[in-house]
Amino acid sequence: MRNILIKEMRLSASPLSYLFLLFGFMFFIPGYPILCGAFFVTFGIFQSFQTAREGNDIVFSALLPIRKRDIVKGKYLFVCLIEVWAVLLIAAVVVLRMTVLSGLPVYRNNALMNANLFALGMSFFVFGLFNLIFVGGFFRTAYKFGRPFVLYLIAVFLAIGGSEALHHFPGLGFLNAFGFEHIVSQFLLLTGGIIVYLLFTMLSYRISCRNFEKIDL
Amino acid sequence: MSVVEVHNLFKKYPSFELKDVSFQIDKGKITGFIGRNGAGKTTMIKSILNLIHTDGGSVSFFGIPVRERESEIKKRIGYSTGTVNWYPRKKIRDIAGIVKRFYDTWDDEAYRKYLRLFQLDETKTPLELSEGMKVKFNLLIALSHKAEVLILDEPTSGLDPFSRDELLNIFSELKNSGVAVFFSTHIISDIEKCADDIIYISEGRIIGALPKTDFMKKFSCDGEGLEDTILRMERGVEHA
Repeated sequence: MRNILIKEMRLSASPLSYLFLLFGFMFFIPGYPILCGAFFVTFGIFQSFQTAREGNDIVFSALLPIRKRDIVKGKYLFVCLIEVWAVLLIAAVVVLRMTVLSGLPVYRNNALMNANLFALGMSFFVFGLFNLIFVGGFFRTAYKFGRPFVLYLIAVFLAIGGSEALHHFPGLGFLNAFGFEHIVSQFLLLTGGIIVYLLFTMLSYRISCRNFEKIDL
Repeated sequence: MSVVEVHNLFKKYPSFELKDVSFQIDKGKITGFIGRNGAGKTTMIKSILNLIHTDGGSVSFFGIPVRERESEIKKRIGYSTGTVNWYPRKKIRDIAGIVKRFYDTWDDEAYRKYLRLFQLDETKTPLELSEGMKVKFNLLIALSHKAEVLILDEPTSGLDPFSRDELLNIFSELKNSGVAVFFSTHIISDIEKCADDIIYISEGRIIGALPKTDFMKKFSCDGEGLEDTILRMERGVEHA
């Protein structure tokens, strides 16, 4: 398992997958849809799928002495690793915005979504969507990624738009909590995001393994 | 001693079919797999490597069915094609450095030896290699993990006559060290030069799978070379 992950990181990955982690810092930007930061991280991962296809990575991997499902596992491990690194960076920014930066007027007067635990939970949701729709879609053919990426784009921008709008609806203002306001609700929303991420990823992985077994390379 | 056995293999596509393919590959021999473009050579190779699903039949390496212990078998075989670029922008050194992790049989000394023999610069990328050097790069990887069987898809296609000759000599050296070399080609003179056994495929069906001398005895007319024989047979199939 370690070897296949190292292969993914050193041979199959695009440097942009690592570079685009920096988009996690977008959670600092006031007056900007911060979840786009999570989206750009997934866009960086998407570049690795392009690089891998250019390098005939799937067939190369299939010739290695590993099981076919290990190829799928390697891809998911890499994708999840990048996502976990991104979440750690975003979480650090969120903690700063919930504490020392919480009172800054530039954030207080922000009409868009605030960087809090709900936003962090929604980042998990964005990554879950990517794993379910894009990565799962890719492994239906192990070659075509245009259609799954377009489907993911539609889903992710609906999710981002919805998240940005929700706190303006009556009774949902707590979603835009500052600092430690509504902290229990914030934790529950974060937990929900993590659970959805895990469910989407596991479901996607199982479907991908099944589909990939059937593919002729 | 046969190291690869293929029995009654079938694979059906909408416009092409492999029909009841059976043959074997022997240790320490060079087997030439010949057929025109589209005859089914690559489909056959992908089938025996378990890269595509067959509709019937069996493939075994070293007496082990490939579908049962694929990982174990793949540690003992090597595959090369001159037509595919693996990771075109990565250095050979980096690709080899990753591949070696998957093989407990990897031999750094052998890697260095073949690097020198093939005159490969490990700081180059596959993109910078000529077609012949790409094949040598694949061979380098296969030989460094001590592959006992080499499955080579069109390794000499697209090479100049000098590189082809050089590569065929390498095959002969490998054969002498006990490696089974199986290579597909549509260049009949390559088979004529170095193959011990010939497998001739036409329209997805094996027409003959015999030692070269037996093949010539069975299919050639008096004074006819292998190239003329295959061309005549191919025309015969076309007009059947």
